[in-house]
Amino acid sequence: MNTTISKRSFLLIAALSTTLFISACKNVPPVTSGTGTDQIAPGQKFSKHLQVHNPELATKLHISDIRSRTNNDLLEVNLSLTSTYKKTLKLQYQFTWFDKDGFVLEAGKSPWQPLSLHGMQTATVPGLAPTNQVASFSLYVREVPEEFFKF
Amino acid sequence: MKKLVMITSVVLTLTLVAGCTNKSAVRYGDANAVETTDISFGSTDLQKVAGEMTDSLLLSPVVGTLTANTRPIMFVESIKNKTSEHIDTESITDSISTKLLRSGKFRFVDMGRVEAARKQLDFQQNSGMVDQNKAMQFGKQVGAQYMLYGNLASIVKTNQDQSDVYYKFTLRLMDLESGLVEWADETEIRKTKGKEFVSW
Repeated sequence: MNTTISKRSFLLIAALSTTLFISACKNVPPVTSGTGTDQIAPGQKFSKHLQVHNPELATKLHISDIRSRTNNDLLEVNLSLTSTYKKTLKLQYQFTWFDKDGFVLEAGKSPWQPLSLHGMQTATVPGLAPTNQVASFSLYVREVPEEFFKF
Repeated sequence: MKKLVMITSVVLTLTLVAGCTNKSAVRYGDANAVETTDISFGSTDLQKVAGEMTDSLLLSPVVGTLTANTRPIMFVESIKNKTSEHIDTESITDSISTKLLRSGKFRFVDMGRVEAARKQLDFQQNSGMVDQNKAMQFGKQVGAQYMLYGNLASIVKTNQDQSDVYYKFTLRLMDLESGLVEWADETEIRKTKGKEFVSW
């Protein structure tokens, strides 16, 4: 009887330790997908361009409005984000700008901007086209990617 | 048997702990990603400050009037660093002037390269090596109409549990002829560093 228990516990410990060893301190790539749009030209309905890539984030956050206008020859965009989550969301957003032929302008120069959205808050963030050649834009919102250590 | 179980457990636990050692790795990162390595002024702060100030300037009605029929000539005076950190404020003004120049609304004269330009003109005029019909002439440069200048200040608070830093960046546009400040804006950044609870 004693031998059976010992054998069983030996196997259990061995299996547990091996699993732990394999997964120990493994860097898990952070989730960087979120919610965004494809190219929107001024005057188009934003709801037809929405793209949800992260359904989990979409339950806590949604794009409630996107407005655009021309100001001083430059395309100005206002993005409204609404949180349906009771805790603070740490977000990042990024605009991408396109010319009239749909070619990307200032590629790789549009930084991710940090945004803290408090529980149930709606925030409007601005975006301004870098040049007057911009004819359409797209945007993307994601949660702050964090690296987790898996044990 | 008990001994075997004990030994196996100890060996596996040691392997597990040893598996957690740091291994250095080199990778390319996203230059536009939000950077939160520490609380001091970082790349995201620079991008945020430069972006917000440029957008504010380009959207202001005053600038709309100034740039309606012409591209005003500006020069960037330094940004005074009033924080307790060493910050390369020229990097901020470089980003702002590049964005403004690329917007097509303004033109710039670069005071940091006056000596180099003078040397080159001197070479063209006096070295005897350049065809005088094609040499650039002294005294033909255009003067700046507006001056861009500002301050970067910070308030730092620290206690046992957390550190808090608040940055305030102020930028102003002065008409050099009249001395009037035509536009001004400021942007703020707050960063906090504190203990976070780890949960499984």
